[in-house]
Amino acid sequence: MTILVKPRALFIGLILLCVLAIWLSLALGPVSLPLFDTLRAALRLVGVPIAPDGLEQAELILGQIRLPRTLLGLAVGGVLALSGVAMQGLFRNPLADPGLVGVSSGAALGAAIAIVGGSVFGGLPESFGPYVLSLCAFLGGLGVTALVYRLGRRNGQTHVATMLLAGIALTALAGSAVGLFTYLADDATLRTLTFWNLGSLNGASYSRLWPLLLISAGVALWLPRRAKALNALLLGESEAGHLGIDVERLKRELVFCTALGVGAAVAAAGMIGFVGLVVPHLVRLLAGPDHRVLLPASVLAGASLLLFADLVARLALAPAELPIGIVTAFIGAPFFLYLLLRGRA
Amino acid sequence: MRRSTRVAALCVGFFVSYHAAAAESPQRWVSAGGALSEWISALGGESKLVGVDTTSQHPESLKALPSIGYQRQLSAEGILSLRPQILVGTEETGPPPVLSQVRSAGVQVELFSAQPDLPTLQGNLQRLGKLLGADDQASQVFQAYQQQLDQQKIRVTRAQLKGKSPGVLLLLGHAGGKPLIAGKDTAADWLLQQAGGHNLATHTGYKPFSVESLVSLDPEVLVFADRALTGDAARAALFKENPILSSTRAAKDGRVMELDPTLLVGGLGPRLPDAMKKLSDAFYPDSAGQ
Repeated sequence: MTILVKPRALFIGLILLCVLAIWLSLALGPVSLPLFDTLRAALRLVGVPIAPDGLEQAELILGQIRLPRTLLGLAVGGVLALSGVAMQGLFRNPLADPGLVGVSSGAALGAAIAIVGGSVFGGLPESFGPYVLSLCAFLGGLGVTALVYRLGRRNGQTHVATMLLAGIALTALAGSAVGLFTYLADDATLRTLTFWNLGSLNGASYSRLWPLLLISAGVALWLPRRAKALNALLLGESEAGHLGIDVERLKRELVFCTALGVGAAVAAAGMIGFVGLVVPHLVRLLAGPDHRVLLPASVLAGASLLLFADLVARLALAPAELPIGIVTAFIGAPFFLYLLLRGRA
Repeated sequence: MRRSTRVAALCVGFFVSYHAAAAESPQRWVSAGGALSEWISALGGESKLVGVDTTSQHPESLKALPSIGYQRQLSAEGILSLRPQILVGTEETGPPPVLSQVRSAGVQVELFSAQPDLPTLQGNLQRLGKLLGADDQASQVFQAYQQQLDQQKIRVTRAQLKGKSPGVLLLLGHAGGKPLIAGKDTAADWLLQQAGGHNLATHTGYKPFSVESLVSLDPEVLVFADRALTGDAARAALFKENPILSSTRAAKDGRVMELDPTLLVGGLGPRLPDAMKKLSDAFYPDSAGQ
């Protein structure tokens, strides 16, 4: 595989892209704010003392709507892409995506239980209500992944192939359970379920954001430390073992980080497909398969892609908005094809 | 010192402007609910609407307004970009974090119940009338509505004394294909009952049905609501996709009725009494015109 871009150039480019995405995500939206107001409100938000005359609206829209949304996009995009790298490294297969270990289907099952069985949870205290969906999705993702991991273990060893097949089986099982809930749902809950499955960064609020930010920061700091081990794993499990790497521990960490990160991302923003599968590919096509580059670069690329997709989602049909899952595939897939064909020529 | 006077002035300013705003009725409305938009139009407030959701399909002229998307998936900034003074919706309107964002931007958010019963409607119309500054009109509209429903009830009771209520099935479909049958706890079931029909389906919600059990129930009247087609095209599509339907009593007697599917969402709307009367005409052809 040829390297199109040197790592240093790639990082500079991606950081610039990410900063641009953050700025556009803060500056653009259905409400058109004068650029100068946006700038002053942004400065006020980071604590620079500027007179607040006439800035109330800009500050509100920036602080309460666009900033949490931008942070959510960064965290979700970054952690999904990172988990994609982890899974592709674990299965040593570029077609792997975070859904393979069952975390997405488990989260979908948890969400379906929460949405359709909502009336059962009716007795919970008011303040807890809005978080039931996120919590169920998170726990569902974690639970199914734990089960897949358990099924893949035999005699103290994790068989990746068994785990893959167990993941496929449990995904199908969870899918049919979701189907059953879909059948039981009434019209309104059905639509909620459908929209949840398409994902959205809409309605982000700080109280939902913190758990995700903490988890994704943890995952984003931890996984790159295992870059060398992942590189060794590319050679094969026993080869990596001979190179002095505790392969069992590495596998456990990869699965755990993915379950935690994707679970939290899906719980906060619903199902957003495509990012985890394709962003690592994009980076690999540009800069080669070295995980020391691939891991951090995927975080930046995933976060940027998601922010750009969200811009389209909120601007294309304004004042209404598109589910973001539609947009990520719509802009990402053609770009991916272009890179693929160019690489072949 | 200077700062504190400034803050005080600001507070007073807010207070005064708040009260001024509360005293006069809001002029820029966004409505997220089909029936609500219809009522606002019926009360003469259509010119105040600056945006509606995708369920607001009547009157036809509302379709020209900016769409804020589906009522359960609203976007705060999208709504705010229309600079509304008030957002009205039903208990389905959401998601909740978006509503609180809209509220914190100083937009009045008023939620109404979509429960299909008259006391709820009366309360809703009173509130809407007050907000629109059309109290008298609201109570007149409600009285007329109540009268229509009362007459309807009398008519149905009389007809039921003379003969048995006909067995009915309501099919909700998309261009005729794979129709869902309306069961218990649906707006459709309520509508059928009010019109004097006996809903043969006993499940809850809208569910797909096997063609065989549909035929075995042998409905006397079929009501279909099609989301994609209307009129004869919808009727033709229904029988083309489900040829077995032609063997039911309803089809043989030509008692196949069309219903506008938008009537089935968002509570009691202004077009409901007419639709109900048409259904009763079909259920009790002898009493038609009363």
